Amino acid sequence: MQLFYQDLVNGILAGGILAVVALGFSLVWGIMNIINLAHGAFIMLGGYIAWEFFTRFHVDPFLSVPIAFVIMFGFGYVLQRGLINRVVRAPVLATFLLTFGLSLLIQNIALIVWTSDTRAVTPTYSGANFTIHDVTIPWAKVATLAAALLITLFMYLWLQRSKMGRAIRATSMDVGAAQMVGVRVAHIYGVTFGIGAGLAGAAGALLSLSYSLNPSMGEPFLIRVFVVCVLGGLGSVEGALIGGLAYGIVASFASNIDFTLYGQHVSGTGLQDVVALLVLLAVLIVRPTGLAGRATA
Amino acid sequence: MGGITGNRYAIGLVLLAMVALLGVPALHNDYLTLTFRNILMFAAMSYGWNMIGGYTGYVSFGNVVFFGMGAYCSAVLSGHGIDNLLVAVLLAMVVCATFAVIVGIPVLRLRGHYFGIATLGVSLAVADLVNNLDVLGGSSGLVLKQADQAHFWIYYYAMWLVTIGCILGTYAIARSKLGYAFVAIRENEGAAQVLGISPTRYKVTAWALGAMMAGAAGAVYAPANGFIDPSITFAVDNNVFPIVMAILGGMGTVAGPFIGALLLAGVNEILQQKFLQAHTLFFGTIIVLVIIFLPRGLMYLIGLRGGARRWFSDLRAFRV
Repeated sequence: MQLFYQDLVNGILAGGILAVVALGFSLVWGIMNIINLAHGAFIMLGGYIAWEFFTRFHVDPFLSVPIAFVIMFGFGYVLQRGLINRVVRAPVLATFLLTFGLSLLIQNIALIVWTSDTRAVTPTYSGANFTIHDVTIPWAKVATLAAALLITLFMYLWLQRSKMGRAIRATSMDVGAAQMVGVRVAHIYGVTFGIGAGLAGAAGALLSLSYSLNPSMGEPFLIRVFVVCVLGGLGSVEGALIGGLAYGIVASFASNIDFTLYGQHVSGTGLQDVVALLVLLAVLIVRPTGLAGRATA
Repeated sequence: MGGITGNRYAIGLVLLAMVALLGVPALHNDYLTLTFRNILMFAAMSYGWNMIGGYTGYVSFGNVVFFGMGAYCSAVLSGHGIDNLLVAVLLAMVVCATFAVIVGIPVLRLRGHYFGIATLGVSLAVADLVNNLDVLGGSSGLVLKQADQAHFWIYYYAMWLVTIGCILGTYAIARSKLGYAFVAIRENEGAAQVLGISPTRYKVTAWALGAMMAGAAGAVYAPANGFIDPSITFAVDNNVFPIVMAILGGMGTVAGPFIGALLLAGVNEILQQKFLQAHTLFFGTIIVLVIIFLPRGLMYLIGLRGGARRWFSDLRAFRV
């Protein structure tokens, strides 16, 4: 039973951060119909921003979160207006490949700037943890989860209440109608992509506390955010949160799979993502537009 | 632009180039032979993708899974002492087609992004699985028995045969009723269905045909390379290069994948020679430039009437 609770807690802690990772991806996909394959590279950049501020100026990684958000927002906005906007109405494949090319570019530039050595952000509290009923919980991860929930809540309120948030939602519903009532679609797309990149950067800064940094660190997250988006539904803040937590918990329990089949030893630690992908396939087969998907895709 | 098979002159040029490529091993230059075998391999994989992505318009992002399966078929056979290329290629084609049908029936119900993601998911899951299966060598891979140095050319000609098979196969399929059904699905799936074309059946057929092409290439690649492991067979490059090649050369044409493979694999090879460290950087740049300036491929540019003005006004149609 103790193992069960430990898995559950680990899953929730991992799921909260995954929600922030997926949130930006989900907004860009849901609102602009772009699968941003460079999202993983953006996460990596956020991590390195936190690392640079930590090693150079001893800035606490939690304080780097807003810094990473702002820097990556600017980067994302410029990228959208300058490059991605040129093919935003082209068939699916164009944006798929464009963002893939961008992710190759960014990763390789990172490789030149920061080399392939793994880096770590280690504030004094990074090893501290506490125990409830034999369940070990690291403080850093609890704080990360809290920050993730705060960001999610803030995004939700901003999208619902602010003028810009309403314009973004209007654009996602009907581009033509939004244009007619005076929404500048190109600008809105830039802001949306900027927020997607900014959230990835913020998530990267949060992840720098519990993951070691290297230029390809974002890649494994990419497939996880797909699963999260399909589980939770596109372009909705609450969907990303629910999907993130669901994924975190499923993957956490899957890591304990351990059995022998026909002399083949199968261990769950290497198969976490396989289990998650099987869940994804199962969901897509039953509901081709995702669990919370709308009728039209 | 020349109907369902694409530009006729381009096809003629491709066939001429294929004939010329027959002479490469006669140059007795190991480096050139390897380079052109690689180009042929990517061309075959690109034809595989072109079947589903180009003709039916279903953008698969997981076709590397068939290449990998083909390679592992070869490796497992070699492990059992069977080192016959023909047997390996035939087995790979059967295995890949079967897997494509089983996975395709549920997955091909999805459209657009969802299909792309599901196929990507399938390929990642299979790669992860192979990584964790000891019978397939796990992450440390499998070693294959190779032909001796004097007979090494056999792999080149085997890859040549696979590629010419893909080209002629694509030509024959495109001109048959099958090809017209694929294109009908691409242009308007609903209308195709009304005309009595069962979308699922034809989509699965297209996917299985493409799977056989990629699988055959994989089955020759494994013994030619002498060693395979999940990270080199299921590599991202093997997944994405064939797609970019098909786009650059022209999706849904017979000549396109070969032309794209020749250009891109050639450029990539030169970059790799000149800048070992930064060649991926250049490759990323090339992808970005191709998508921004040539989203409709080279064939579009060749068939373009109206010069640069028309080109840029066509490009502007994709902007917001």
